Amino acid sequence: MFEERIIFHDAIETMEVDFCGTTFAVNADVDAFYDVVDKRLADSGRSWYFLVVYTDCVIAPEAWERFAERGKIANVKHGLGTVRVGASSQTREEIRQRAEQEAFRSNIFNTRDQAMLALGEMRKRRRDSRAAAEGTFLRVENVSLRFGGVKAITGVSFEIKRGEISSIIGPNGAGKSSMLNVINGVYHPQEGTVTYLGNARHQMRTHEAATQGIARTFQNIALFKGMSVLDNLMTGRNLKMKSNFLLQALYWGPAQREELAHRKKVEEIIDFLEIEHIRKTPVGRLPYGLQKRVELGRALAAEPTLLLLDEPMAGMNVEEKQDMCRFILDVNDQFGTTILLIEHDMGVVMDISNFVVVLDHGMKIAEGTPDEVRSDPTVIRAYLGTAH
Amino acid sequence: MQFFFEVLIGGLLSGVMYALVALGFVLIYKASGVFNFAQGAMVFFAALTFVGVMELGAPFGLALVITFAAMVLLGVATEKVVLRPLVNQPQITLFMATIGLTFFIEGLAQGMWGASVRGLEIPGIQDEPIEWAMDNWGIGISKFDLFAAGVSAVLVSVLAVFFNKTRVGRALRAVADDHQGALAIGIPLQNIWRIVWAVAGFVALVAGLMWGARNGVQFALTFVALKALPVLIIGGFESVAGAIVGGLIIGAAEKLGEVYIGPMVGGGIEGWFPYVMALLFLLVRPEGLFGERHIDRV
Amino acid sequence: MLYREAGQFKATYQEDQQIFPIRQDRIAIASILVFFYLVVPAAANQYWLQAILIPVLIFSLAAIGLNILTGYAGQLSLGSAAFMAVGAFAAYNFMLRVPGMPILAAFVLGGLCAAAVGIAFGLPSLRIKGFYLAVATLAAQFFIVWALTKFPWFSNYSSSGVITAQQVEILGYAFISPESKYVLTLAVVTVLALAAKNMVRSSIGRSWMAIRDMDVAAEVIGFRPMHTKLSAFAISSFYCGVAGALYAYTYLGTVEPEGFNLDMSFKILFMVIIGGVGSIMGSFLGAAFIVLLPIFLNISMHVLGDWVPHGLASNLELIVFGGLIIFFLIVEPHGLARLWQIGKEKLRLWPFPH
Repeated sequence: MFEERIIFHDAIETMEVDFCGTTFAVNADVDAFYDVVDKRLADSGRSWYFLVVYTDCVIAPEAWERFAERGKIANVKHGLGTVRVGASSQTREEIRQRAEQEAFRSNIFNTRDQAMLALGEMRKRRRDSRAAAEGTFLRVENVSLRFGGVKAITGVSFEIKRGEISSIIGPNGAGKSSMLNVINGVYHPQEGTVTYLGNARHQMRTHEAATQGIARTFQNIALFKGMSVLDNLMTGRNLKMKSNFLLQALYWGPAQREELAHRKKVEEIIDFLEIEHIRKTPVGRLPYGLQKRVELGRALAAEPTLLLLDEPMAGMNVEEKQDMCRFILDVNDQFGTTILLIEHDMGVVMDISNFVVVLDHGMKIAEGTPDEVRSDPTVIRAYLGTAH
Repeated sequence: MQFFFEVLIGGLLSGVMYALVALGFVLIYKASGVFNFAQGAMVFFAALTFVGVMELGAPFGLALVITFAAMVLLGVATEKVVLRPLVNQPQITLFMATIGLTFFIEGLAQGMWGASVRGLEIPGIQDEPIEWAMDNWGIGISKFDLFAAGVSAVLVSVLAVFFNKTRVGRALRAVADDHQGALAIGIPLQNIWRIVWAVAGFVALVAGLMWGARNGVQFALTFVALKALPVLIIGGFESVAGAIVGGLIIGAAEKLGEVYIGPMVGGGIEGWFPYVMALLFLLVRPEGLFGERHIDRV
Repeated sequence: MLYREAGQFKATYQEDQQIFPIRQDRIAIASILVFFYLVVPAAANQYWLQAILIPVLIFSLAAIGLNILTGYAGQLSLGSAAFMAVGAFAAYNFMLRVPGMPILAAFVLGGLCAAAVGIAFGLPSLRIKGFYLAVATLAAQFFIVWALTKFPWFSNYSSSGVITAQQVEILGYAFISPESKYVLTLAVVTVLALAAKNMVRSSIGRSWMAIRDMDVAAEVIGFRPMHTKLSAFAISSFYCGVAGALYAYTYLGTVEPEGFNLDMSFKILFMVIIGGVGSIMGSFLGAAFIVLLPIFLNISMHVLGDWVPHGLASNLELIVFGGLIIFFLIVEPHGLARLWQIGKEKLRLWPFPH
């Protein structure tokens, strides 16, 4: 009977324990309940937040000590945090005292909704602190890349923060595109490491970048020319599609449902980028500016954590640039996507970036906020040139 | 051991013959980036035309001139009708177009001259062992094979000089490197391509004469081109030297394989052994022995 | 006037994702199916069924196979006939050696054997592209035909590798008459063609096209090149294998390895080029065109009578084939399927020019 009073909410990492109407008269009652709880926890093999509901629960003074003891053990072994609902004034007082003695937060709420909200806060705090503990979002350390004898990048290091828009700038041939290619695994640097979401790597296969949530666009548009806009965007969602080719061949059941679900998602991106009118057009027939937009859409379809944009505004006129800027800022704003972009238009870079890295001849010559970089003498020299 | 050397030398000499065909592929590929599958058909066309003209009563020299003229015509026509409209298309499209061209030329040649098998004799050269080598080393070397090797050597030297020393040769190399760049500095692209196809036609003529004299002029000559493909893979599509070395390797390997490995699996492996060898080779060195390694840019 | 889609609105994505979103197309395809399933077997004579319709269907299937590999995944292959041979000989051996083997299962197993061989010969595609790969597939062509000839086990020790297909029987019904063989072939081809169409409009098809159009970008998006290319090789070879089995069982009855030669591979390639690279519909058009053309040429030679020199017909065939390939590559690289589409566009507007 205790079994059904324990509910696991996997999605929010929470175990709900329902003490409603239970009476713990002697220690044996407490043990009977907690033996089940402990077994379920041990079987799950992981940690949980606890949501404990006390409504109409009676704990006799004789059993209280054992009750607190077993609760503490469960918390220490498997607990990420606990919220409590509906404790009687007696229970409430007991808990408060114990909380003061042992220095934990008592977290008692009157309604279940309040408890769930608090739980959400707890989970968010823990996620943030874990991200902070794991270090930075993306760190490039001492990366060098050579093609034969040609040095494309020499000992470049920088860091990018989650949720920001960062830019790499520099004259032609400075190694900007190569840098992006290193980050998403197309090129393998001879030296140095790239640390992304806490994982350092020296080499990885190109397709692995996508599985880690890195998407990108290319300097010379790399759309699939033979396919329609819709299909191009759908390719962006391939990693999320699970049905096998036999189901796809039948176009039946799960395969069809999956296809339609992703189509819906892609249509949202089509809406977002305002390209509804061309969704069935083969991309080869589109004008340049629209192709760039479709390419951004394809990258967005993957719902990336990190979006790399290689000269998203090259060759565009002023209106198209404004549109693109708006899309980039919106993506950053609405989806919280971190963006790293390469761009030649200084006005654009300084307007939308939080952080700028300057490369020249494959080396980093400056980094900082747009204002810092703008006034940096080395940067000015690299751009305007001096007599060498 | 004597037997081994006899097989090896026989293989190397027939390898020279493969190289002769491969050379035609390399020339066109170098100058226009087209992988000309029709090279074998051109060899067949040349041999058949030559024999046909001889049958009409022309002497050897005149037949040679007429056939050469026909080959130039064929090359120029190909450039105009097939390649020019397809310029800037993907390489694979051009490749498929040359497969179509192969069928066309084969049909044309047989339509003009008939499909019967004919002999072709090159005056003074017989396919018989050289007595001196037989007496001294006990190895049978065909006079004809040696002659063919000599012709190939001369042809390669001439081509090397043509490519490296003449103005046209330099222009050719420029075109091969960068079409638009060559155009920009005023090299007439279409003239160059015409010249290349004409030269490839000439190489096909020489190969046709050699192969025709050896195996008779018949439809099977077109399959010689299929033998030349593994040669190209091993040697690299862009290298004259590669064609020669690749030819030697394939020739030797094929004959040695047939003699030493063939009996183990029931023989007749000549048809695919070079391909499998080339395949294994590809896995190790995809750009061929003398080919250039390309870096993909994104 | 009749061919209008005005007034047909798509309210759900499901409706929009149909193979034939336009109502008139659905009616047309239904009538075509009715025609070929019901009218043709009743009306056509033996010559039409045996010598034209069955081979057209079988080659359509092989062309769909090659189209998956070349048209959709962009990997040129010159060895399709060899994979057909694998399918034919594998199906024959399953029928021969496994007692009570159902024929349809033998077809599928034949296809699977071809798929396995296809994967083996597709391995080089991971390192090489374009015509290098095309040359590599020639290895498959020569090796497979050689192996089937050289190892007599494959042909149950018959001379020169000739096999005679066993009688086709499903649930006690023997397929002996041309009509029944035709319907069986048609059924297999319809099912597989539909499956191919479904694949190319699903994520596996998109992965093939992505690799074809821009392989680096495809990899960056997360397609695994090995997985994608080999799946194309496997599925393409499966189709060719089943086509080969049908070729032996419902078309010729007696086949030999040499019959599946390079020429046949080229013919299948031509079907794809002329029919339309990257089009399932085009595979049918191309196969019909290539099968019918020699017959047409022969008939016209006969009409011209003695006036034409002997042997010209076969050479003319070569010339016309070659010429058409070049013509289509230059003028309409998307083949008959594209012409068909253009025709439909015109029809939508008719009688107005724009």
